[in-house]
Amino acid sequence: MNNSELETVYTRLCQTMTQLGESQAPLFLARFALLASVQVGQAEIVERLIADAAEGLAQSAPD
Amino acid sequence: MREFVPYPFAPEHHAAAIPALQDGVEARRPAAVVVGGGPVGYCTALGLARHGVPVVLLEADDGVCTGSRAICISRRSLEIIDRLGALDGFLRIGLPWTGGRSFYRQAEVLHFTMPQDENQKLPPMVNLAQYHIEQILLERAQALPDLIDIRWQTRVTGVDSRADGVRLSLSTPAGEYALDAGWVVGADGGRSFVRESLGLALTGTSYEGRYVIVDIRLRSDRPTERLAYFDPPCNPGSTVLVHKQPDDVWRIDYQLRDAEDADQATRPENMLPRVESLLAMMGETGEWAPIWTTVYKANALTLERYRHGRVLLAGDAAHLLPIFGVRGANSGIDDADNLAWKLAFVIKGLAAPTLLDSYSDERVAAAHENLGHGRKSTEFMAPPSFAFDLMRQAVLGLASRHAAVRALINPRQTAPITYRASPLNAADDDRFDAGPVPGAVLPECPLRVTPDGAAPRDAHLTDLIGAEFVALWFAQGGALPPALQDLARRMVTRGLPFKMLCLTRADALGDAQDHTGRLFPMFGATPGTLYLVRPDGHVLARARELAPGPAAEFITAAIGRALDLGART
Repeated sequence: MNNSELETVYTRLCQTMTQLGESQAPLFLARFALLASVQVGQAEIVERLIADAAEGLAQSAPD
Repeated sequence: MREFVPYPFAPEHHAAAIPALQDGVEARRPAAVVVGGGPVGYCTALGLARHGVPVVLLEADDGVCTGSRAICISRRSLEIIDRLGALDGFLRIGLPWTGGRSFYRQAEVLHFTMPQDENQKLPPMVNLAQYHIEQILLERAQALPDLIDIRWQTRVTGVDSRADGVRLSLSTPAGEYALDAGWVVGADGGRSFVRESLGLALTGTSYEGRYVIVDIRLRSDRPTERLAYFDPPCNPGSTVLVHKQPDDVWRIDYQLRDAEDADQATRPENMLPRVESLLAMMGETGEWAPIWTTVYKANALTLERYRHGRVLLAGDAAHLLPIFGVRGANSGIDDADNLAWKLAFVIKGLAAPTLLDSYSDERVAAAHENLGHGRKSTEFMAPPSFAFDLMRQAVLGLASRHAAVRALINPRQTAPITYRASPLNAADDDRFDAGPVPGAVLPECPLRVTPDGAAPRDAHLTDLIGAEFVALWFAQGGALPPALQDLARRMVTRGLPFKMLCLTRADALGDAQDHTGRLFPMFGATPGTLYLVRPDGHVLARARELAPGPAAEFITAAIGRALDLGART
């Protein structure tokens, strides 16, 4: 995926969640994470991505 | 409380003047009138003058603008300004820069650079205030009094567009009069009267996110770069941008939170502490004072067409782009450059009026590309919904450890646009594996020009572009072949602005030599390669492995097709 495609994906995620509304966004992201995990297909990579995604959130989560 | 101070610039005031009239109408009928004395209006007028076409420029105010407004001028704009003969002032006053840094909370998450290498003549960007820009362009225009007639304090109150011209109703403190123009360029800004009088409306997206813009006076040796602070400790939850301008002026933009009232936010008691805490965070301890402040909302809007009979719209009058990515003034200067040669050719009878439709085609397409980038920049800098905000938070939090997402923070600064679908382009030669395609601007490259009888001197490729079509003939060595010399003579006899140049690899017998050996590969060129370049520096056509005779025919056909295009279709 090149930078331009990454930007397109980013915008599509933003637009999709905007349409679904804030209350459904966590469920959407959970479903997306599951589908992406299946697509990645390797448990150790998914484990690492889960750790990377969580890193720093406890210390820096706003509100 | 800190007192506001003025900008370190005092514009000269100019009186209104009324030309010789006949029954209330200007006796002379100017072929071209530009409405609006901003950067786009000046560049259009200077462009027409460069082609020898006299122009009347109408400005409602009595001098150049007083605010800093547009402050970032791109390399592409500088190339255009160079051709207009006004580059020196921009390089003398402007602060050159090549990149910037973005921070999330305390951490630096992106250090970006704009394209810059040993081939370049000009910096990727210079910062200077819009009053500098207008003053430099005004002085250049004043040096051409026979070609550019500036009418100060002259407000357009009516636009009557007819088949054979446009009647403008004008109001000045010295009286009212009417003027019959052959062609009118509306470069009168975002609130364009010309646009509104034609009943045209901009369409697109208006964003709700608001930024406070503050110019301050501060002496600091900090280098010139674009600084972006996301969720900074000095202003949690906000986004702050900082740009340096000449003469100890700094531009600060900070985002307002959704609940904040815009009128309240610009009050000194609310604005000054924000700036104070930002400067403290940056480690700027010098004395400072506010100069000016306003509230900004991003727009991404354009007209569908920029030509309406004998009226052409350019710059903010034609499209409004978000400030993020600095495409506003820069895209307007590109409009002016595209329009000036086409309008000059039409006025001089060298092209069918329908050539001006290609101005609209090319610049509307450019606006859509600019709008696409501008929208993405705005969605990042002023997230339009919770989802854009959430995703941005994710990117900023991941960026310091995951380089792959950093591209999403890049401010997508303005870059030259290729007119891929232009009706003027000749079909491309698929044997090229490098070089600018038809519709693209020339990449920059140093070369050594070898004028007849004079000593060779170092120059750059863009120096060869003038107020004419330029054909670049790539050769191993020697002078221009006779068939191409003949062609150049025939073009000049026809009154067509045209220049035929021989670029050589091995000796200095042509017009310029590729002394670094970088030009030929950059253009995918071998001896017998031809590039035909428009007066605005965009490639019209190119071909490889041509003999001189067929090359002359190729040039004649491509120019003929471009200039007569509309007449045939």
